[in-house]
Amino acid sequence: MKKKVIFKNLIFTTLTFIIATIFALIDYILGDKHSANITLIYILALIVIVHNTSGYLYGILAALYFVIVINYCFTYPYFEFNFTMVGYPLTFFIMLLITLFISTMVMTLKKHQILNAQQAHQLEEREKEQIHANLLRAVSHDLRTPLTSIIGSSSTYLEDYSNMCEEDRLEIISSINEDAQWLLNMVENLLTVSKIRKDSQEVTKTLEVVEEVVSESIIRIQKRLPDIKIHVSMPDNFLMVPMDFTLIEQVLINLLENAYVHSSSSNPIHLTITETTDFVMFSVRDYGIGISSEKLEHIFDGDSKFEASNTHKGIGIGLSICRTIIYAHKGNLNAKNHADGAEFYFSLPKEKESFDYV
Amino acid sequence: MFKFTILIIEDEKNIQTFIEKILKKQNYKVLFASTGEEGLNLIRSQCPDVILLDLGLPDMSGNKIINEVRTWTSTPIIVISARTSEREKVRALDQGADDYITKPFGTGELLARIRTSIRHSNKLTTLDSLYIRPYHFAGLHIDFDKREVLLNDKVIHLTPIEYKIVSYLAKNSGKVMTYSSVISNVWGPYADDDNKILRVNMANIRRKIEINPAQPKYIFTEVGVGYRMQDDSMDCENGIG
Repeated sequence: MKKKVIFKNLIFTTLTFIIATIFALIDYILGDKHSANITLIYILALIVIVHNTSGYLYGILAALYFVIVINYCFTYPYFEFNFTMVGYPLTFFIMLLITLFISTMVMTLKKHQILNAQQAHQLEEREKEQIHANLLRAVSHDLRTPLTSIIGSSSTYLEDYSNMCEEDRLEIISSINEDAQWLLNMVENLLTVSKIRKDSQEVTKTLEVVEEVVSESIIRIQKRLPDIKIHVSMPDNFLMVPMDFTLIEQVLINLLENAYVHSSSSNPIHLTITETTDFVMFSVRDYGIGISSEKLEHIFDGDSKFEASNTHKGIGIGLSICRTIIYAHKGNLNAKNHADGAEFYFSLPKEKESFDYV
Repeated sequence: MFKFTILIIEDEKNIQTFIEKILKKQNYKVLFASTGEEGLNLIRSQCPDVILLDLGLPDMSGNKIINEVRTWTSTPIIVISARTSEREKVRALDQGADDYITKPFGTGELLARIRTSIRHSNKLTTLDSLYIRPYHFAGLHIDFDKREVLLNDKVIHLTPIEYKIVSYLAKNSGKVMTYSSVISNVWGPYADDDNKILRVNMANIRRKIEINPAQPKYIFTEVGVGYRMQDDSMDCENGIG
């Protein structure tokens, strides 16, 4: 590994040296016998070498070469060595000084760059850890509630089912079913988080058909919430967007579910897809009570204290996961109130190159 | 009455019991195996009509079982798998599994998959391949002899490729068809494995036969795997057998 680096640096130094010499020769052949330009060319080459290699060695080596070559080729007597020339030691000395000076500068610069990158990385790591810690805290809180209810209901049933009337039994079983369904959704959200974590905040994207992800989300949410009414409108043309299908599906499901559960309204939810030159926009609009302003501020924080207190179906985790997913896609997720309710909208960047299929 | 035998290869006791309850109620005969070895023995000795196979078994991989079974019988195999493992599903299907069902699944879904598998395996052995009954569901009617697609009694104009895709899915209605199987059936075995062209064609088909392409009634996308066409309604009415 180290040998390879040394080899690479040597090759680079030699190549730059040869190129500089060619330029110098051209300049010389064109009749410019003043060594000022030639010296400038070599100094430039020196800077390039020092900038692109590591350590002082190559710069000093190059400086030595240059002084010798300048002496041999480009100073009187041409193509002969003459070390006794007046001021020659000074030329050599200045060349060396320049080299050392540039080397030091470049090396400090490089050090700073590495340090900065490290710091940024550390900061990112810490932020990620924070997100995951928050999620875990919120999740374990949210998992306990339905589990308590499932365990409670089922043990009541087991101990007492002979005394229950048909109606009570049905009620207890359907509440178990409902809680289990909710747990399933939560588990899927967690899977989602693990998927992002694995690829360090990046997701594997493939080109997906927008209407397929929309229809899949609607089918899945209708399985769980058969009463939900969704009105979809989207552009007529065929849209493909790079995304992780299951993650975006999860976002849509979360947003639609929120709209259904938290709007306190049975009006149909509007899912609208629009297209701009660089983005595809998704908007989920409900026609209910809207979001209070203090809640709106912290709605994506993943903090359970802003949840509605009358239900365990927290929105905190779901939404912060959604935002993480959309960010990982280099898009944006936001919420706002409109005249008759709340609206969540997100954007996904389209692929750079355009596709001409059909 | 003749009973179909269904073998469940699944190591989770609770899931075994729950599937058994559902199937017994539908008049199926149910067999169990908790390990792959046991499962293979039962397949050899009992010749079940349908095999439900969980891919995550303790003693051997489900894929090994599929390979083994496919060396000597075409008994339908329905794979039970987790939702997020598309690659696993595609691999199982490519190896010869007939269909899959995703955990957690509902009763209706499970029964529909079993019915479809039994029907398709019957078709192979009893129906004359020259005669294929038209496909019919809700407003959609496909006549394979006339090569005609009708939606609410109006003729739908499909391109030859689009017709090939639709008829292939319709002939296998209720079953998931992988992208690669559709591609090789429509464009031939040497076609490019890239499924973009297929998906573009599908989007165009949906624009022609679905009222709202974002909420399809006839052709469903199975994420990362392929397409599934809504089961033929005549078969549903006739029930099993």
